[in-house]
Amino acid sequence: MTKLTLLQCQVVEEEVQLSLTELCQASSAERELVLQLVEHGVIEPQGDAPQAWVFSGSSLQRTRVALRLLHDLELNLPGAALAVDLLDQIAQLQRELQALQRH
Amino acid sequence: MGDKIPAMQFKDYYQTLGVARDASADDIKHAYRRLARKYHPDLNKEADAEARFKDIGEAYEVLKDPEKRAAYDDVGKRWQPGAEAPPPDWDSGYEFRGGDADFGGFGGEHSDFFEALFGRARAQARHRAPPRAQDHHAKVVIDLADAYRGASRSIRLQMPTIDAQGLMSLSERTLDVAIPAGVREGQHLRLAGQGAPGFDGAPAGDLYLEIAFRAHPRFRVDGRDVYVDLPVAPWEAALGAGVDVPLPDGSVVQLSVPAGSAQGRKLRLKGKGIPGKTPGDLYVVLQIAMPPAPDEAQRRAWAELARLQPFNPRAD
Repeated sequence: MTKLTLLQCQVVEEEVQLSLTELCQASSAERELVLQLVEHGVIEPQGDAPQAWVFSGSSLQRTRVALRLLHDLELNLPGAALAVDLLDQIAQLQRELQALQRH
Repeated sequence: MGDKIPAMQFKDYYQTLGVARDASADDIKHAYRRLARKYHPDLNKEADAEARFKDIGEAYEVLKDPEKRAAYDDVGKRWQPGAEAPPPDWDSGYEFRGGDADFGGFGGEHSDFFEALFGRARAQARHRAPPRAQDHHAKVVIDLADAYRGASRSIRLQMPTIDAQGLMSLSERTLDVAIPAGVREGQHLRLAGQGAPGFDGAPAGDLYLEIAFRAHPRFRVDGRDVYVDLPVAPWEAALGAGVDVPLPDGSVVQLSVPAGSAQGRKLRLKGKGIPGKTPGDLYVVLQIAMPPAPDEAQRRAWAELARLQPFNPRAD
């Protein structure tokens, strides 16, 4: 038995901000692809130049979904950008529908 | 792999994609795209979608590549229908570069059948050498109570590890993780240094855990806010009452139901949702429940109430 040490963690969406390099690392994405995701508005960093960009923690999930759609569905970037936005809208509508159905 | 013949099912990739054996490359592409849109786990939240999608992705990976398709067709011709054992030498002689290993798609994991035929995917061959080891992603299911109180969880993970030859295999690891109070469904936890090990002194990657809540029979979660139905008797709704409401963390609060409450009235317990810097609220939704069939005395009481309170719920 190994001794029990509890691993501490951070909540990505609240406590984590990512640089461009960190976002590439965490999503296993090529830098060029992440630049294109920014250009298409899938993710929106703060800061002027790529070296100074800061991404919110929630950018990681959007990036990963976009990458999966690009790869698995053979979409192009505008298509994947649209799909990511629509998926967000669907999730929001489903939450509202679920709330309404209780009455 | 060479020293024993695995008991293995032949996988009919044509059937998986719903195309004929002589389907053109275009037919195969169209069939794949249609099925991929239907079963992609980001688009389809059914429980079996991910498994279906992996089958579809594997079938496409083989059939879209003329070399792999020819090898697969060759094995298919020699496979005895109904036979338990594959034809002799069926898993040798096909040499493939693992060039298009996955880059974060849902595909990438292959069936035993695929691996026996084409070998295991070479790890990330087309990526430039990363500055440090890979980050890993996994899911963890917790109870709503864990999000209220925080919890420690043992999480067993199948970690892909890459050996010196660049071959990938799975090994199991157990991690004891402190789940912080206030975490919400769909959020991610980052565990620094718990991803893939680094080589040549490079730092290890990070592990990301996506949080899902186990469905609860009473409580419903919307972001930070939590909803619960509270059954009340008609006279409690009419006259007002103090009612005990159990919270997801096991504690109980007293709620005062205002007199004259309608069915479905939402009462807010501020800050009693999922805790955090901005804690959520708990919404108690009143459900007016009817008592069981009345006896004679009770029936008279209802009749008296009907006489005293002329009320037509269908007035408009």
